[in-house]
Amino acid sequence: MKWKHKHLLGIDQLSGEEIRILLEKGNQYREWLEQSPKQLTRLSGYYLINLFFEASTRTRVSFEMAGKLLGMEVVNFTNELSSLNKGESFRDTVRTLARMKVDALVIRHRSSGIPIYISQFLPFHIINAGDGMREHPTQALLDLLTMERDGIDFTRNTVAIIGDILHSRVARSLSIGLKKLGSQVIFSGPPTLIPKGIEVLEGQVVYPVEEAIRQADVVYLLRIQKERQEAGFFPSAKEYASFFGLKEKPKDPDGRWKKIMHPGPVNRGLEIDSSLVEEENSLIEEQVSCGLAIRMAVLETLILGGANG
Amino acid sequence: MNKVLIKNGTLILPQSNRTIEADVLIDDGVIVQIEPGINDGKAERINASGYLVGPGLINLHVHFREPGEEKKEDLFSGSRAAVKGGFTSVLCMPNTRPPIDSPLLISCFLSRAREVGLVNVFSAAAISLGLEGKAMTDVGLLKNAGAKALSDDGKCVKDSRLLYRLMTYSRYFHIPIILHEEDIDIAGEGQVNEGSVAVKLGYRSLPKAAEDSMIARDLVLAQSTGATVHFTHLSTALSVKLIEWFQNQGAKVAADVTPHHLLLDDQSIIQYGSRAKVKPPLRDQTDIVALKEGIQRGVIRILASDHAPHANEDKEGDFNEAAFGISNLEIAVPLYVKALIEDEIINWLDFWKLLSFNPAQFLGLTKKGSLETGMDADITILDPDTHHEVKVNEFVSKGKNCPFDGWQLKGWPVATIVNGKIMMRHS
Repeated sequence: MKWKHKHLLGIDQLSGEEIRILLEKGNQYREWLEQSPKQLTRLSGYYLINLFFEASTRTRVSFEMAGKLLGMEVVNFTNELSSLNKGESFRDTVRTLARMKVDALVIRHRSSGIPIYISQFLPFHIINAGDGMREHPTQALLDLLTMERDGIDFTRNTVAIIGDILHSRVARSLSIGLKKLGSQVIFSGPPTLIPKGIEVLEGQVVYPVEEAIRQADVVYLLRIQKERQEAGFFPSAKEYASFFGLKEKPKDPDGRWKKIMHPGPVNRGLEIDSSLVEEENSLIEEQVSCGLAIRMAVLETLILGGANG
Repeated sequence: MNKVLIKNGTLILPQSNRTIEADVLIDDGVIVQIEPGINDGKAERINASGYLVGPGLINLHVHFREPGEEKKEDLFSGSRAAVKGGFTSVLCMPNTRPPIDSPLLISCFLSRAREVGLVNVFSAAAISLGLEGKAMTDVGLLKNAGAKALSDDGKCVKDSRLLYRLMTYSRYFHIPIILHEEDIDIAGEGQVNEGSVAVKLGYRSLPKAAEDSMIARDLVLAQSTGATVHFTHLSTALSVKLIEWFQNQGAKVAADVTPHHLLLDDQSIIQYGSRAKVKPPLRDQTDIVALKEGIQRGVIRILASDHAPHANEDKEGDFNEAAFGISNLEIAVPLYVKALIEDEIINWLDFWKLLSFNPAQFLGLTKKGSLETGMDADITILDPDTHHEVKVNEFVSKGKNCPFDGWQLKGWPVATIVNGKIMMRHS
């Protein structure tokens, strides 16, 4: 099948079938990652710029590694190095980059909509690595890959996404992706962090958190940022952990343990009890490996146009 | 003896909107039988012939001043005043020193109240840490520790964002919010109602707009967030209209009113001086009429007395320096009778709804507020007919700050039964 998208700007633009193509290729790369030494040349000679206007370690390193494993040359461009600090406008910075004649650009920015904006005038492939509160498509894809590899049948699956839905691009992208594959999505957390209008994501809001967990097969916890407390969305870390954090291994009535996921980095003892992070039903560390694999799949698919590789 | 038998009373059953002639048998703190002609040789008998017998009265707004201001009142003196006044349960406001703003403090407070053990003492917890109006308290942890409501009473929550977030957040825990409304920028150093009395006496004024504007803001917030919001000590005609309008839009909002706001207007300041100095201030006759209509129309659903005891030295001397507040817990019932029953604004069934059934529902007290078998044996017995004079120097409350001294009132409580124990009984 010919891949029709030049960019990966959001999960919203992909069909269920397109998501499955990326998951299949991601799955192959996930298997391949187990071998050493690892070196592929499929994208050798292609140049990738990692353009991060917002602090990130895991996503940036993940894209860098994904590119290098495929043989790409990778240039990292972070906010501190940026001419924006010298007064250059964002548009001029990006237009300058455009003259560098690279092949692909991975961008993270704190403003929702920036990837779509620059895709309108930059001549190369744009991959959204997180824009404000809107989308984080590779995170959603890696989450879906992690679930699929764990044996989850999306058509008979309910994921409870718990925590700061309001500010979370992860919650948006993941819930959109899950719905496209046939999963049920429920949201829970402090009502201050569940936005009005959430119906657009086609998930159900379930209170309290215990009930949301009871109805779910997968418990997906979102990272809580300290500044949300300072902004008055909830009163204290202690209170958050008491009522909205995961404190014990979630279990089905028939005794099956539910899976635990988290996009990282984890605040141990806040959204999840420390003992549960590395627990055997936690997929949190596997999510990282799947992240690398899915980013390889995305880079290859965009640049080579979906030709079978 | 664990059993109590109340004979020949007129029973007020607010839960089923009925009045019946029957006996009530209490065993081990629970109402076990209600029917005519009960006999039980082992039970202590109370002859309630000619009296009204109803579920224990609940005062949604009292200040027992503990911890921190025990010279004004403490849990013991306040509880005694409650029992004497016919109340079986009270909700204490958290503006103590320190304020009740942490789970530890509310646990300590409630455990102290249980030690005293005269009356069911419940507590609201602060909305904001230190009542400073900045950061939300641990609402869920406070509820688990026993808080029945949230309030920064005595202070108005000025920060709209804090209140908006709190109203949204508190829904998760099903805990109601009680608001004292007063825009402090408008109220400033005001002492009495804005109008002729303030002009005549030369006191700075507390405009109605200070109260109404905040109520209007918070009605919008309540409507938008779906929170359960209760406006306490309502005093103006406009606020009644505003609340009714939002009730009709489906907002979960209601209000209470004190006896002094129903009985006194701002002219009383001329006669009573600082004893009638209170927040919100005593208003006009038109407001009194509107408040009474608000009760009839279901806008005001609870009668709560805002018992605010002060030491004499807090009230004497300079009017402008005198504390705000009226001590009224032991005469609140006959005051309400004078304001509402004697004027035929409401009947006795309504009276018990406003003072027992509705506050029990509001606080989520499922075993209180109804007179029926299986409920907690909290019972108040009233003599509807006999007049007595108010003698403030006989108050058991430490607070003698009360303008009603010498008033002839009827509708006094004659027995108060708390959890099956007779805590007060007139021979």
